[in-house]
Amino acid sequence: MELVVLSSFLAATVRMAAPIALAALGETISEKAGVSNIGVEAIMLSGAYFSFWAMFQSGNVYVAVFAGILGGAGASLIHAFLSLRCKADQTIAGLALNFLFLGLTSFLFLMQFGKTTTLPSITVLKPVALPLLSNIPIIGEALFAQDPFVYVLYLMVILLMVFFYKTEWGVILHAVGEAPRAADTAGIKVHAVRYLACTANGVLGGLGGAYLTLVKLGFFQENLTGGKGYIALVAVILGRRNPLGVLIAALVIGSAEALQIRLQTLGSTIPSQAFSMLPYVVTVLVLMLSMGKGHDPAALGLPYERDKR
Amino acid sequence: MKRTILSFAVMIIVILLVSFLLIAMVGSDIPTSLASFFRGIGGSTYAMAEVLVRATPLMLAALGVSVGFRTGFLNIGAEGQLYLGAISITWLGMTFPTLPAPLMLGFSLVLGFLSGGLWALIPGLLKAKFGLSEVINTIMLNYIAINLVGILVRTSLKDPTYPYPMSPMLPASTNFLQLLSPTRLHAGLLLALVCAALVYLLMFRTTLGFCMRAVGLNARACQCSGIAVSKYVIISSLISGGLSGLAGVSEIAGLHHRLIEGISPSYGYLAIIVSLLGRNNPVGIVFASLGIAALQVGSMSMQRSSGVPTSIASIIMGLVVIMILSRKSLFRCKEA
Amino acid sequence: MPTLRMSKIDKQFFGKMANEQVDFTLEQGEIHALLGENGAGKTTLMNILYGIYQADSGCIELDGEPVSIKSPKDAIALQIGMVHQHFTLVPTLTVRQNITLGLKSKGYPFVNAKELDRSIRTLSERYNLTVDPAALVGSLSVGQQQRVEIMKVLYRNARLIILDEPTAVLTPQEVESLFIVLRRLREEGHSVIIITHHIDEVLAITDRVTVLRAARNAGHVVTRETSEEELSSLMIGRKLQKIERKPLPFSFASKGLQLDSIQSKNGPLGPLSLSIPAGSIVGIAGVDGNGQKALAEVIMGIRDIESGTITLDGKPLQHLSVKERKALGIGYISDDRLKDGLVLDMDVRDNFLLSSYDKREYTSHALIDTKRVQQATEQAVSLYAIKTASLSTPVRYLSGGNQQKLIVARELGDQPKVVVACQPTRGLDIGSTEEVHSILLDLRSQGCSVLLISSDLDEILTLSDKIAVIYQGTIMDVLDHDKVDMTHLGLLMAGSKTRRSV
Repeated sequence: MELVVLSSFLAATVRMAAPIALAALGETISEKAGVSNIGVEAIMLSGAYFSFWAMFQSGNVYVAVFAGILGGAGASLIHAFLSLRCKADQTIAGLALNFLFLGLTSFLFLMQFGKTTTLPSITVLKPVALPLLSNIPIIGEALFAQDPFVYVLYLMVILLMVFFYKTEWGVILHAVGEAPRAADTAGIKVHAVRYLACTANGVLGGLGGAYLTLVKLGFFQENLTGGKGYIALVAVILGRRNPLGVLIAALVIGSAEALQIRLQTLGSTIPSQAFSMLPYVVTVLVLMLSMGKGHDPAALGLPYERDKR
Repeated sequence: MKRTILSFAVMIIVILLVSFLLIAMVGSDIPTSLASFFRGIGGSTYAMAEVLVRATPLMLAALGVSVGFRTGFLNIGAEGQLYLGAISITWLGMTFPTLPAPLMLGFSLVLGFLSGGLWALIPGLLKAKFGLSEVINTIMLNYIAINLVGILVRTSLKDPTYPYPMSPMLPASTNFLQLLSPTRLHAGLLLALVCAALVYLLMFRTTLGFCMRAVGLNARACQCSGIAVSKYVIISSLISGGLSGLAGVSEIAGLHHRLIEGISPSYGYLAIIVSLLGRNNPVGIVFASLGIAALQVGSMSMQRSSGVPTSIASIIMGLVVIMILSRKSLFRCKEA
Repeated sequence: MPTLRMSKIDKQFFGKMANEQVDFTLEQGEIHALLGENGAGKTTLMNILYGIYQADSGCIELDGEPVSIKSPKDAIALQIGMVHQHFTLVPTLTVRQNITLGLKSKGYPFVNAKELDRSIRTLSERYNLTVDPAALVGSLSVGQQQRVEIMKVLYRNARLIILDEPTAVLTPQEVESLFIVLRRLREEGHSVIIITHHIDEVLAITDRVTVLRAARNAGHVVTRETSEEELSSLMIGRKLQKIERKPLPFSFASKGLQLDSIQSKNGPLGPLSLSIPAGSIVGIAGVDGNGQKALAEVIMGIRDIESGTITLDGKPLQHLSVKERKALGIGYISDDRLKDGLVLDMDVRDNFLLSSYDKREYTSHALIDTKRVQQATEQAVSLYAIKTASLSTPVRYLSGGNQQKLIVARELGDQPKVVVACQPTRGLDIGSTEEVHSILLDLRSQGCSVLLISSDLDEILTLSDKIAVIYQGTIMDVLDHDKVDMTHLGLLMAGSKTRRSV
């Protein structure tokens, strides 16, 4: 009996962690290249809205996912433009982006669907159980009987591990974020690499946002992401910008959310806010515990200018 | 110089065009919408007072944000610090209802400042002593504070006579003076203006302010020159949070007179934009807060009369900041 | 036909000409020096050749063909390689990763470590440059890092190799090793350009010299046919004034600055003992990265020590803060004036009073007394001849020399008892350098204990009464000025304690 509870708790953890992990992987790529994007909220919101809209219009999952990716990439490229071309303060650029997309997605949603009393909804993606793997006791159900997004997540983690640590591309990415001057004089196009990294951030973040509408909720509303973008940033730091580490960090945070829901359903007189606080408190505590370890890319957040005297 | 003027002109034009476009997309009539916008901010004494009322918490919180920014402490937590200030005055009013008004006023200001200050001090200490990024910490504390309010108005600060989650009406001794009946204008505005003057003196005329600014510009050089960086980061976070805490006190004491959820429509985040627009300078902040408040009040008026959604204000604000960030680069302005 | 011809190159930055109508030709298979003092325009010219900057006007021809070099990528494609003064290596990557950075080797995008190591080894053997491909660059010594930089350039088939101030950070022995490498390169048919301001190097290794002065050509000679005096006068435009450091006829009562068996916390220093008597200049000679900066920081209080004592005239300093030590009269000139010494976006007044703003003489009623601040700054600016548009100009816009003079005015102007000067004349032109040197000598005759940390051996030898050699955080030996033997000094700098040659 307890095993079933544990298994469903783990499954819930994975579901809570997935959108955060996807967005966090994107941000990891961006930060490794030296660009810090606080606007992950905007990327996820954009991905969430546009995938919802596309699903509603076309009924086709692939189109919807693609739309979500485009939405996320669009948001990220605005940030890239501000950070790389305009050399703006990346924190402020990210905040401005969050405001913009909060308003934009609300506005577009209202425009498309008007003020209805019933929320327009779409059918969510069903989970697909992987043969053999899903039969492993306890963790099998939790890890391998999930929706396709989760499998994409696993694949991305593996791909990124190979990319970062086994290919020349990974070395280039690292060099651009650590010592852009060294990369430049070696003939690497620093800005091109950073733009690509930002695009990747948008793609993955858009997927993370799409997850929320296509899999988790089936509907969209104003400020759907409610801070998940910021939590993704924490997962990046906790995971020390290592794809596997980031996944684990997201799972830890996801477990806090799953716990919150579990406690709520158990029913008590404690106000629900005490539980919704949980993920945020956990992230602050875990952040404090991780202090002193880990190393930021030396050029993180700093615009690169070749002509700098 | 010409390029600078041109760039500002283009900025304003783009913003106007986008606003018109958004209004048109909703299907509203542009002239009518604009008219209701302007009526909303200047069509009557009440309207103008509304703008001032809205500007007050923005001003206070933005002053706080600017003090932090200048020291290199990116305070994204003004929202949470504001709520802490609100909680503190609510607690004070509920626990000591018989306190005479002058004492109540004094204590609520001090307590509100300290509560907000404490909420910012946590990330401030973490940054000063352990080098942890204050950006994420302050954002997390925002969400924690909002949830804290939700808990308190349902439990220890709850009004027992109502089924709804809110505190009881606070005693009259907590109220700020109403400046212009029947408008909602209250003494919070005076508090904000006084704080603006004090922040100006602090940052630009005192040694403390000088050291804070120097730390914000080059902490390493300060360390080598004997200026204690940690000390100033901590003081800065305290003052930064304290001013936002005062914003919370002002909203309760001048406007709502009880604690409810959602008293802040993202004032804390808006304050960051105000501070940016005002170039982290008290004088600029006063004007910028009036501007943003006008945008908010006007857009609400537009919604009431013409059905234009208020999310338009959010879009415009995001756009304004983006334009500011990109202006110099796009127009190749060679400004100092 | 010359391998390279740069004609009538013009380049300006913010209205100031860095290169004005400069011509430069390089023949095939020669080692050519680009000589000039700091700020003459040498590095700018080479950065234009390497594609980091684009000339405002003028043209570049390689083997007679005009070329356009818009980025380092173009330069590399034209087989031009550059080893910069500040190494362009990624410290968190290995030697192999740095050498092959951005290159599409076999099996791209996957990294075939064995293959790459093999080709690196072949190159190593050919040019006699030993490197360990698996080592993390951040853990290598400066001399080793320079070898990696040269390998990087050779790995990309550079035929024309530019070296910017290559000997600035090397011991005398390492300089010899470098020269052997350069001769090997010449044998293999490469053409080498060395940017330098050291005349003895030019005479030792080069075939021809082009001299730049104040952004223009000042002369062009064949090394064999010239002399130190000729080069010096071309470089400076006047006769070099030799600084006179006379021994002082009197001694001082103060015990000066004493460091006793200090050990820094988790750090590069210790156990270190050193004595800097009042009225003397003690020069610290050593290869960059052997604890010089840590030594300075420990004396100032910026870095903590775990054990040992630091005393000033008998009074212990270890537990005092930076502020308290400065109040006792210790001045600090850091080697990194932009990061450690100045707040670039603040004006001249604010920077001058950076550490003094809370002194009672500058405040009245808790507010800053702007009048007194103005007066004090005006005095300093005129006394030290600091050229600035106004006192409200952000210090960012001052020239390097004037920035340094401002720091000198601030740190040394108040009759300090101790001065810690790190690379005080780095990046300064001859005029400013002479001024700083004479200020240090004046302080010495007033009884100040001066600790001079510099990688410029000439500077150390000229100014110091005693020379202490630092190696891996300890003092190897302290030599009297008159008893210095260059070979012995070089050995000490490299860590060898005996008089036998390595």
